[in-house]
Parts: sequence; C-alpha cells; structure tokens
Amino acid sequence: MRFKSVLHFLACAVAAHVLFVGTSLAVPSGVLVIVENETPENLDPANATNSTVNQLVIGVYDTLVQFSAGETTVTPRIATDWSVSENGLEYTFSLRDDATFHDGSALTADDVKFTLDRLQNAAGKVLNDMGPYESAEVLDATTIKLSLSEPFGPFISALSRIYILNQELVEPNMGDDNGRQWLAVNAAGSGPYMVKSYKPTEAVSLVAYEDYWGGWDGNHVAEVVFRYVSEPSTQLALLKNGEAHIAPDLTVEDKLALMGEDGFVVDIGAAATPLYFQFNTASDGPTGNKEFRKMLSMAFDRQLHQEQVLMGFGTMPDGPLPSNWVGHQTGTEIGFDLEAAKQLVDENGWAGTELLVRYLPAIQEEKSAVEQFQSNLAQIGIALIAEGMTWPAQAATVQDLATTSDINMIYNFPSFPDAHAILNTSFNGALTGYNGGYNWAQYSNPEVDALLNAAATSSDPMEREELYMKAQELIGADYVVITVSNPGFVLAMSDKVEGYKYNVAHHQTFNIMDIGLSE
Amino acid sequence: MRSLANGWIEKCAIVVAAAVIVMAIIGPHVAPHDPLAVDFRNRLVEPSWTYLLGTDGSGRDVLSRILHGAQLTILSTATVIATVLIIGCALGIFSAFVGGTVDNFLMRIADIWLGFPPLILALGFAASLGSSLEAAIWALIFSWWPTYARLSRMITVDILSRKFVASARALGVSTWRQVTHYVVPNAFDVIIIQITLDISAVMLAISGLSFIGVGAQIPEPEWGAMIAEGRSFTASGWWIVTFPGLMIFITALSFNVIGDMLRRELDPTLTARH
Amino acid sequence: MKYVLERVVFSLFALFILIFITFLLGHVVPGDPAIVAAGPNAGAEKIAQIRQDMGLDRPFHVQFLAYGSKVLAGDFGTSWFTHQPISQDVMRELPPSLELVVVAMTINLLISLPVGLVTARYHGSVFDNAVRVVAIAGAGLPIFWTAILLQQKLAADWQIFPVAGRLSFAYRDFEGATGFYLLDSILQLRFDIFLDVLTHMFLPAFALSLLFTAVGVRITRTAMIGEFRKDYVVLARAKGASEPRIMFRHVFRNGATPSLTVFGMQFGWMLGATVLVEEVFGRPGIGRYAVKAVTQSDIHAVVGVVLVVGIVFVVSNMLIDLILYAINPRKTYVG
Repeated sequence: MRFKSVLHFLACAVAAHVLFVGTSLAVPSGVLVIVENETPENLDPANATNSTVNQLVIGVYDTLVQFSAGETTVTPRIATDWSVSENGLEYTFSLRDDATFHDGSALTADDVKFTLDRLQNAAGKVLNDMGPYESAEVLDATTIKLSLSEPFGPFISALSRIYILNQELVEPNMGDDNGRQWLAVNAAGSGPYMVKSYKPTEAVSLVAYEDYWGGWDGNHVAEVVFRYVSEPSTQLALLKNGEAHIAPDLTVEDKLALMGEDGFVVDIGAAATPLYFQFNTASDGPTGNKEFRKMLSMAFDRQLHQEQVLMGFGTMPDGPLPSNWVGHQTGTEIGFDLEAAKQLVDENGWAGTELLVRYLPAIQEEKSAVEQFQSNLAQIGIALIAEGMTWPAQAATVQDLATTSDINMIYNFPSFPDAHAILNTSFNGALTGYNGGYNWAQYSNPEVDALLNAAATSSDPMEREELYMKAQELIGADYVVITVSNPGFVLAMSDKVEGYKYNVAHHQTFNIMDIGLSE
Repeated sequence: MRSLANGWIEKCAIVVAAAVIVMAIIGPHVAPHDPLAVDFRNRLVEPSWTYLLGTDGSGRDVLSRILHGAQLTILSTATVIATVLIIGCALGIFSAFVGGTVDNFLMRIADIWLGFPPLILALGFAASLGSSLEAAIWALIFSWWPTYARLSRMITVDILSRKFVASARALGVSTWRQVTHYVVPNAFDVIIIQITLDISAVMLAISGLSFIGVGAQIPEPEWGAMIAEGRSFTASGWWIVTFPGLMIFITALSFNVIGDMLRRELDPTLTARH
Repeated sequence: MKYVLERVVFSLFALFILIFITFLLGHVVPGDPAIVAAGPNAGAEKIAQIRQDMGLDRPFHVQFLAYGSKVLAGDFGTSWFTHQPISQDVMRELPPSLELVVVAMTINLLISLPVGLVTARYHGSVFDNAVRVVAIAGAGLPIFWTAILLQQKLAADWQIFPVAGRLSFAYRDFEGATGFYLLDSILQLRFDIFLDVLTHMFLPAFALSLLFTAVGVRITRTAMIGEFRKDYVVLARAKGASEPRIMFRHVFRNGATPSLTVFGMQFGWMLGATVLVEEVFGRPGIGRYAVKAVTQSDIHAVVGVVLVVGIVFVVSNMLIDLILYAINPRKTYVG
C-alpha cells in the first residue's frame, strides 16, 4: 500500500515536471482557517446530528454513500453499488477494497457492522434518521447486508451520516460507555483528513491523509484549522487581517459591508433549515391549550424578521417545510395579526401570563427573534422570559417533560433533502424530546404519526407527497410551531478560497475536501 | 478635601453619584423610548436627536436602556450591600461578644472566605442556581459577607475594650443595649466608608457576571449585559458598548472618590477589595 | 518555626473549608444532586451509579468524607459534556490562566512599587495628587470594558497587537511540556515564540492589571508613608545618609513587606477575574472553561474549577507569607 502510494506520488511529480505548468501538483498545500463561534461538543460521530461535530467528522470519516456539496442525491463512496430486496427490507452493499484507515489498516465490512452496532448500543442520535433500521450482517469482507423492520424510502440518504469507525482501533477503548469517552477526543476514520490536534476551547486542526483512497488530484489544502472565536467582531478582524479564510458567523451588517469589499466573497447558500419557535404542546401550563398557542402564533412578524434581521438573506417561510420542497402544502400556518392575538388575550383573560423561552444566545438570529417575540408579546400583555443556553444544555432540558420550557427555539437541520427529514424529526410523536428526538414541542398526534409513518414506508412519490401535505395541515391546525424563517447559509470568505460550495444535506459544514487556496 | 485641587473632584463625584441615584429612581419614567421595544427598522442608528445615544442591534434606544438599567444595577448593588451588611455585622458582633474559640473559628473562616475570588465563587453558584440576575446577587452576597463580619468584629472588640463600656458591662447593661448604644454609633463612620468603597466593587462584579452571561439575561438592560450584547457590533456601532461602559465607569469612579474622601476624613486604615 | 507551623496549619484549615464549600455546591443543589451531576443524556442506570458514588443515600458526614477523600486523591469526577476527567480538563486550562496572571502581576508590581514609593516620598505634591486621582479612576474601570476598547482600537483598528488567541497562527503547532508557553518556549530556546506569546498576552494582561494596579499603588503608598515616618529614617537622615539610600535600602525593603501580603491576595482575585479578559480575547483558560461549564450545566466541572482556583489561592498566600518570614523573621503578618 505504502509502496503504491509512493509510486503514485512519483508519477504525479514526473507528470507535473513534464507539463511544467498548467496542471496542479497532486499534493495538497496551504492551510485553510475557518472561524466558528460555537465550540465542538466532541469528536464522536454518534453525535453528528450536531453541526459542530458534523463539520469536523465529515472530513475525517468515510460513509457508505454521501451527498457531494451542491447536490441533492447521494453518490457512492465506500459502497460502490447496492441492491434492494423486492420487499424493501434488505439492502446489500458492495464495498471498495482500497480504502484504508489513517493507521493504514484496511476498511472492511466488519468495520461497517461494528459502527452500526456501536451506534445501536450507544443510542447514537444519528440513528434517529435511520427509521426502522434493524441490523447488519457481514457477507464477506467487501459485502454487507443491512436489514430494516419495515420499508423506509429515504434509507440510502440517511446513511450519509453513518461515519465508519476503525474497529481494530476503537474496540480496545470501548470501556463501559461504548467508546463514548474515547471517541469524544480521538478519531478512528479513513477520510481525506486526519485529526492532528483537538483543543476544543481553542482550535481543531486536520491534516491531509496522504493515502486517501480518493486521491489528491486538483487543488486541495494540506491542513484545515477550525478556530473557535465567540465574538463576531473578533472574527471579522481575523478575516480582514488574513488570519482566517472562512467566517460563517459574522453579523449581517458585516456581511453586507463585505459584499462590496475587494478581496472578499459573500456566499449565500440556498439552505433549508427552518427556524422554529416550538410550543410545549404536552405542557400542563398555558401552551398546552390550543387556543393559547393560536394566540402566540399570531404574535410573530415573519416579514419583519426576513427583511430586518436576515436583511433579505433567506426565503419567507410558509409552514414548517421549505416552500420549494416536494410535498409542501401552502397556507398551513396562521399569519401575523397582533390585533386578533390581543383580542384572544382579552377574551380569555390571559394578560399577565409568564412564559419561558430557551434559545441559543450565540446565534444572533435566535437572539433577535426572541427579542422581537418578547417585544410583540409584551404589547399584548404576555411576559416572555428568555433563558440563553448552549445547545447541549438546551437539548438536555427537553429530555424530560417537567423541565421542558413553554417555548423552545430550534433550527431543523435536515439530514437529507426529503420532507421526511424535516417533518418526521420535528413532529413525529415517537421522536419527542423525552424520547431523545428533536420534536421539542413534545407533540404527539396519532393521526399525524400515522401519516408520517405511512409516507416513510411508501415508495410511491405521489402518495408520499399527498400524505405529507395532509400532515402539514393537521400540524398547522394544532399550532405546534411558529416557523420563524428559512435563513440562507451566508458566509464571508477570502477570495483566495476556491471550490467552496454549500452542502444542503450537511448544513453548517464545509466541503473541505473540495477546497483549495489560490495564491 | 483640600489636597485634591480644592475638592472640585469630590464635588463632581457627589453630584454624579446623586445623579445616578436619582436616575435609578426616576429613570424609567423619563426614558424617551420603551427600553424593550424592538424596532428592527431602526437598528444601529447613530446618536442623533431622536436617539440621543443611538440604537442597538435590535433597534432599541440605548439611552432608555441605560436609564432603566440604572435601576437594575443600583437596586441589585444595594440589595447585595444591604444584605451582607446585616449578615456580616450580625456575625461580626456576635463573634466579638462571644469571643474565645468561637470567635477565633468564625474569623478564620471569614479570613479564608475574604480572599477567595468572588467571581469564581459566583460561577459556582450560578452552576447550581442557574443563570439569572437573582442568582448573581445571591452569589455575591455569599462571597461578600466576610468583609463586614471582620470589620464589625474588629470595631466591636475595640469598643468593648474601652473603659466606659467595660464598666457598663460590669453594671449589667444588656447586650442588646450595648450593641445599640455603643457599638452601632461608633461603628457608623467606618461602615459607611466601607459601603461607599464596596458600591463600586459590587457594581463591577455584577456587571462582570452579566457580561459573561451568568447574570442578567436578555432583554434586561443591565449595563454589563448591554456591553455583552453590543460586542457583536463594535465595528458597526461603537456607541452600544461605549455608553453603558462609561456609565459603569463614572458611577464606580464617583463612589470611589467619595469613599476615598470619607476615608481620608475619617479613617485611614481601610482598603478596598476587588 | 512556630509561625511556620501555624501558617501551614491555617492553610490546611483553609483547604478543609474550601472542600466543604465545594461539597455544598455540588451536593446541596435544587433538585436531585445525582441527576444534576449525571448531566443530560444520562440514563437511569448512570444516575443510580452516580447516586451510589456520591453516597447520596448515606448520612451527610459520610457523603462529605467520601467526597473529601476523592478530591484529595485528585479525582473531581467526569464532565458529562467533554466526557473527560475533570481534573485533566482543569489541568489543561489552568496554565494559560496562571501565565496571564503572572504577567499581569508583573505589570502590577512594576508600576505599583516604584510609583507607590515615589508618591510616598513626595506625598502631598502635585504628582502624588495626580497619581491618586488616576488610581481612584482606575479602581472604577470595568475590566471587560477596558479590554474591549483596547482590543478594538489597538488590535483591530491600528493592528499594533494581535486581536485574539494565545499564539500566532504560524506557531499553532507549538506544544510544551508544562503548558506555560512562556516557559516552554524558553526551555526549547524558541525566543521568537516567547516574544509572540508575550505580544499576545500584553493587552489582556494590561487590561486585567489596571484595576489591581490602581489598588496596588494606593496600598504601597500608604505602607511607605508609614515607613518614612519611622524613627530609623529620621535617624538615618540625621546621620547624613543619602536620600536614594534611605529610599531603597531602608524604606523600600521594609515597606514592601506588608504590601506584598496584599499582592498575594491579589493573585487569587486576578485568577478569578481572568475570565473577563479570556472571554474578550478568546484565550483558553480556566475562567472560560468555567463559564462554558456553567452554561452547559456541567456542575462538577464548575466545582472542580472553584476548588482548583481556591487551592492556588491558599497555596500562593501561604508561600508569600513563608517567604516574607524567611526574609524577615522578626515581622510576622498573620492572615
């Protein structure tokens, strides 16, 4: 293996010499620096539903299939091809035989099975998107069969977050917590980049893996550094003096200003990550009352948010699903009408009610939305108390109905572009916060669940579309959420960065393996 | 008084301190705008006649927020000081009257406590109580009491050793009467100085806690929290960070000057704590 | 010798109190301490395990004993958030903070001692008054605000100093045995790195030191004034000793001692205040770790920080007192 790669490098070097200029050397060079505001939870691929983890592991691990940046369907990676059984319950994958982990050992079907088994034992969050996945069976070193308990349309897409672990390396470190402690700070992947250093409060550095099976043709960087800087003003200063190349978390004002400045590019990714106010529908308090939720739903001005907070970087929401997605139903969510809301408050004597909202203050958009909501509700006599938290702390509060606040702010980052990925995660009663999911409204409507489950197992696109539309109507009539916005993924970068593309299936990550730096 | 340029600095300080207290009382009534009303169409407006100190990142009037914030900041500072004053003095006087091992033990604890960084102790508190202005106030009370315990104990011991008190004791004057008639009047000066000096230290601590996010939460216009919120906009709206900081600074400064003046007039042995 | 023993016993007592306070923070919390300690994502099994580990079903004093012996063995538990032993996390975050405090303390001493001495010698002069006004003003500065303004002007606008971080990007691979980059760079004879670390530290250290220097100058001045009034100074003057000799040989040496006790206390307070500048300058450190832990409801991590900062504080005070005793055994300053 080693010998082969040396030959490969020699060949490339010779070729480059012969051609002299015009082709880029197949050796990655340069250091790409990305400034991020939120520090990573850890390095464990089981937590890859969290974008701070996903943006690191996506470059470090391989998956069976993957969405390339800018595309909405998966393409082969470790799996070269696959077949589905007639009844839709068995998927058989052929794996490539030339992929190696960073320690040089070969990636085989055993590693894939080990990965999936570990996720099941550790109840990894990434499994929530895998629907009725049941078990894995190794047929031979390069063939694996995955079984489901019932058919699941988006199964192949869901595999794009199952990052494959090096069994040999992880197994001795499993401990009594399925390797969570070890994998939190160590990597065991086969991806294009290796973890060089992991200092979670400061920076994480990834370096190119020379023997990556995908090769290094084209312009690539030798090292990627994620720097964690909490303040947008500091991030701007770093970007301006050349210490950083990509900055996704600047304020909207700074991004607008950079649009007109030489040397910088502002990229607007057509993201599909709706931001919600989720009402605690299972609460004994006021939000348990549907009429009350109706009143709340009328007290937020999405238009103002779109124009003045996002400054136009985004699309107006129309219900919980982005309006250009297949299966979208229009007009399911009630519009802004403070007068009508006030009338409801007066009729029911709700004035003076105190509500608690939890949100992430590190995200400017959430903060602005909370302030706007507080301000509007104050006008109609409702006091909204805000509690800022970090993501894991907020996620922790919804794991128990008793600690779930009246309202939670949350983005839905769909794992793949399918109505299932948004509607099922946010509204299926089986995925409530206390069941370990992202349905933080703790919303459970058997009718909606039935529709969502039927849509997931159906293979008829027309039928699925109809089921999803019906589900959206029911959800709208229950006033479960306010869809605040569909923000674009706007990032500012140096014009030296080449090859960046927004990846709709891996929101808030960067396609580092495609990026190069120009001089 | 004479030494500092004929005392004009002190006079200014008294005027400013008085102004801040007046502001805390009437500020919310004279604020030109609603401190919480978000107006995204008017965000980051530079200081102008409509918005004397400009607007913040959510279009709220900075001046109105500062005026409302004065009440929050001053009230929480006052709460901390009043509470530690009562708890601390009670402990200190008790300790002095009892004397012996108990006294020794209590004062040793106070010594240790006194040196411990209040900010870190407050973080410990915030971790078990949750982040809020109330938690920050509790945390500071918890870490600030020893100053007054030590001070009042020192004064009490000193007073009890004086002849006329000793004879009063011998005559069987009740402890309560001793405290109210001898200790309190004599301790008054020293305690007042310490309070003036502590006002600025407590205020800085509260705003510091709010700044790092474990004190006041949005949308409360606490001055430290305002600075934290304005940090994102240092490049596009310098006024959001500058004015609340300036308010903290001049308020702390004026109370320091007054404290320093009182100390030079009344007692040279005290030191400030930060 | 008796004094040394007394001082050590006092420190041990302080340590005991400290452990007791942190015990209260972790064990007497609203709600179920085991659930709080286990953190989110924890199953019933884990919570039961922790309840047993913390001894919550046993009497209070047994719990305290169990906690105390664990802590003394260096076991602060595991952070639910980072999945790592807390002692390990804290030991990683402590050196950057300590280093910052040492530099800030140096700035503080370099300003406070000479300025205090000179203002004491010429007290009542215009210079003395000017210094006092500045010192009083300095004691009212919010550290974080000063830090933001310095950062915006000197680093972001004028680019004289680095904006954030601990090291320049070019040196990002630098690692040292101790974690104190100033020390590590010298040990490896990398003076370029040493300078780089220092320039990154200047603004945060300066912002941190201002408030303490303001107090330090006043303390030193008061102590020195007292010393100038003493008989031996009058005697030395009468004998015709030169003024510089009196100032440095006599007054400074004797007067510095009581101020050093205060500086010792300041060391601990500074360590507590580093959080304010660490947040602004994006530096790693114990304060930032604690704030993060608070927002993540990682209570045992916070308790670990409180404990370690407390230990640093107790030890540094004890050392200062012992050093002072060693220098000048006749004078002892208790507590």
